[in-house]
Amino acid sequence: MRRREFLCGCGCCGLLSATPAFALADGEWHMPMRFQKPEAGGDEGGLWALLDREEAKLKRSRFIVRDKALNDYLAGIACRLAVDHCPDVRVYVVRTPIFNASMAPNGMLQIWTGLLLRMANEAQLAAVLGHEIGHYLARHSLDRLRDAKSRSAFGQFLGMALAAAGAGNAGLLAQLALAAGMFSYSREHEREADRIGLELMAGAGYAPMEASKVWDQLLGELKAESDWTGDPATRSVLFASHPLEDERRDALATRAAALTVPQANVGGEQWRQVMAPHQWEFLEDELRRRRSGESLALLDRLIAASPTDGVLYYFRGEAYRLRAADGDRLRALDAYELAEKQVNAPVELYRSRGMLLRAAGDEAGAKQAFARYLSLRPTAEDAELIDSYLKQEIR
Amino acid sequence: MMRWLLVPVVFLLASCAAMTKVGPGETVVRESLTVRLGQGWNKLAIGTGRVEIWTTEGLPLDTLRFYVDVKDGEPLQDVRGANQKQVPQFRAAMEPREVVEMFEVFSVADGSRFRLAKLAPASFLGTAGFRFDYTLMRKSDEVELKGFGYGAIRDGRLTLIVFEAPKTHYFGKVAPRAEAVIASARITK
Amino acid sequence: MLAWWRGAVLGVMVALLPSVALAQAALADGFKKVPSGAKVVLTPMDVELFSISAGGILEPQAEWTSRALDHLKSAYQAKKDALGVEMLQLDDDGDEVVEDFNRLHGAVGNSIALHHYIRPWRLPSKDGQFDWTLGDGVDAIRAKTGANYALFTFVRDSYASSERVVTMVIGALFGFGLQGGTQIGYASLVDLRDGRVVWFNLLRRARGDLRTPDKARETLENLLEDFPG
Repeated sequence: MRRREFLCGCGCCGLLSATPAFALADGEWHMPMRFQKPEAGGDEGGLWALLDREEAKLKRSRFIVRDKALNDYLAGIACRLAVDHCPDVRVYVVRTPIFNASMAPNGMLQIWTGLLLRMANEAQLAAVLGHEIGHYLARHSLDRLRDAKSRSAFGQFLGMALAAAGAGNAGLLAQLALAAGMFSYSREHEREADRIGLELMAGAGYAPMEASKVWDQLLGELKAESDWTGDPATRSVLFASHPLEDERRDALATRAAALTVPQANVGGEQWRQVMAPHQWEFLEDELRRRRSGESLALLDRLIAASPTDGVLYYFRGEAYRLRAADGDRLRALDAYELAEKQVNAPVELYRSRGMLLRAAGDEAGAKQAFARYLSLRPTAEDAELIDSYLKQEIR
Repeated sequence: MMRWLLVPVVFLLASCAAMTKVGPGETVVRESLTVRLGQGWNKLAIGTGRVEIWTTEGLPLDTLRFYVDVKDGEPLQDVRGANQKQVPQFRAAMEPREVVEMFEVFSVADGSRFRLAKLAPASFLGTAGFRFDYTLMRKSDEVELKGFGYGAIRDGRLTLIVFEAPKTHYFGKVAPRAEAVIASARITK
Repeated sequence: MLAWWRGAVLGVMVALLPSVALAQAALADGFKKVPSGAKVVLTPMDVELFSISAGGILEPQAEWTSRALDHLKSAYQAKKDALGVEMLQLDDDGDEVVEDFNRLHGAVGNSIALHHYIRPWRLPSKDGQFDWTLGDGVDAIRAKTGANYALFTFVRDSYASSERVVTMVIGALFGFGLQGGTQIGYASLVDLRDGRVVWFNLLRRARGDLRTPDKARETLENLLEDFPG
């Protein structure tokens, strides 16, 4: 078969197809030396040239989040985890509301904003990045790239072009995730990357227990969505790319418990500060997915961690308002009220309150809320519309 | 595999025009909306479900979409494979902003990025409606699109017409024609 | 929404694919050839080549892609001598204006491929005329380069399973990105005064043909066949 030839053909092309980069005996792991860029001309060289070109494209993409503070911060985390390999890792933040990250064998590490939104602290992000860097160090992604199917998907994603079977297909975002290609790692590879990831976390001084919490959170969101829709959790787009296994979470927890990290760092406060300027946009993206079960579970979690953040209460209200099921109007109004009590109460809550009251026939209450909104945000994009409400006679 | 089975069907379809001419003159859209056209448009004649789609320069370049008489409890568009609870449904009591929020969901379904630029009252279909302006960064080719829509809820039913085209050249070129179509629209049934 | 008609068009497109390279050029009304002495600027080419082996295994062909780019460039160079036109090279330096028009060209090319080359999808309002444009904003390229015309190139080739091919080509046609699918290419000569596409060539062929650099070259040369000179 052709594929066999392809693989056999590179039997002599050096380190890439040589024995595994390292052997991972339990409890003992050695970081491999930095990888050298393969020579151009060989099979691997072709692969690299492809990746480099895709990376050049990605760099120019209009979906890359370019905020320097965020990028520097994330690159710093990646660097601490990758240690010697730090110079080979390049982080890109891609604006897509899905939980996903992937690392290519040339060192291009992509993090999607839907993932950033879901991390509770720096240690959790380190867990995910450690896992991806684990794949990189163990050269899993190279194997995967050699696998034709995932390679095509990979290329497709990197082209930043989504070939949609139809824009009304519910699985579109899932296709994106699928195309990003985390999919095709074998169970063995996932487990190995989990183990390396934990080692890297511990080595960088992060609390390894946070790794299993990442999975716990995701499982919680999945369950919430499934409870709400009545569909089995396997249909979720959010995690289309990872087989969800309680077992994996538990294995991570068990291993983490065995690792001792003196003065383990979680980095919750720092994380929240870095994320704060982006949270609004990421949450807007999140709510547009209309997975209210997942979004509400996420918001509950974020609120539990930051109980005085008015923005989060506002978005909880938005999630209920958009869901518009029985009783959601009151739930939304309650959430706006809580938002209003916080120091950083967003102005938009008055607009949303106004809409809900207006629809319920409480025109006086609506006017009051709209007036408040307009006085605080006179140049809002919908100022004319709001103003027209204020000018209407109360019936 | 399923899609390959479509090929014979497709040949049947290929023999009849996929794009048909509409206008100039009076034209009825979805039985109840009448517009008057100065120039001809091209209508996508097959399989568009709840929405009717017109274009002047081709579907990748400009679209005028008609959502006519959407009833309480119906979605703007059908979404294959989605749970009912994950697709926004129109409610007769919706505020203009909520209609836009409902529209957005379909625009971003492929990963594209939507930004609302303006929302204001506007006369539409002879009644007090609204107009919104937006930009959309298309995920597939990263072409930046501009769009606007007019909507009105009459007797509990929503009619929404949305125009969209690449910001470079096409929006400026076709938007005035789209505006004229919208300005001429009235409900005849 | 609209899912099945996309599938349908894709089907038409795939079904109509010839098994050998087939170039079909079109000229805008009233345009015959590039006037002598005119300068043509070559915008950064948007090209990706992959191959599909007999067993259906895909191989990224970075080397071919770069070779293909070279072939294209030399094919253009050869034309240049025959035409008496001056060919300028525009470096791929991330210039925003150029990138913008390159992207728009992909969308315009998709529209032409669908609405000009597939008869049932022709736009009645165009009345059979070849009448397409990138808009007069391309004047910025003229100002930047001093050229009279710009040549845009867009080539994609399969790197997918047959099922995915269907998805991709259709996606391409409807502005969801042409990613692989069958091999498909557009070359457009654009008048930099007004943005009009004065010459367009569509290249379609069944997948699996690009297994050797020779074929790649042949294919790409086909794209320039009938270049108006």
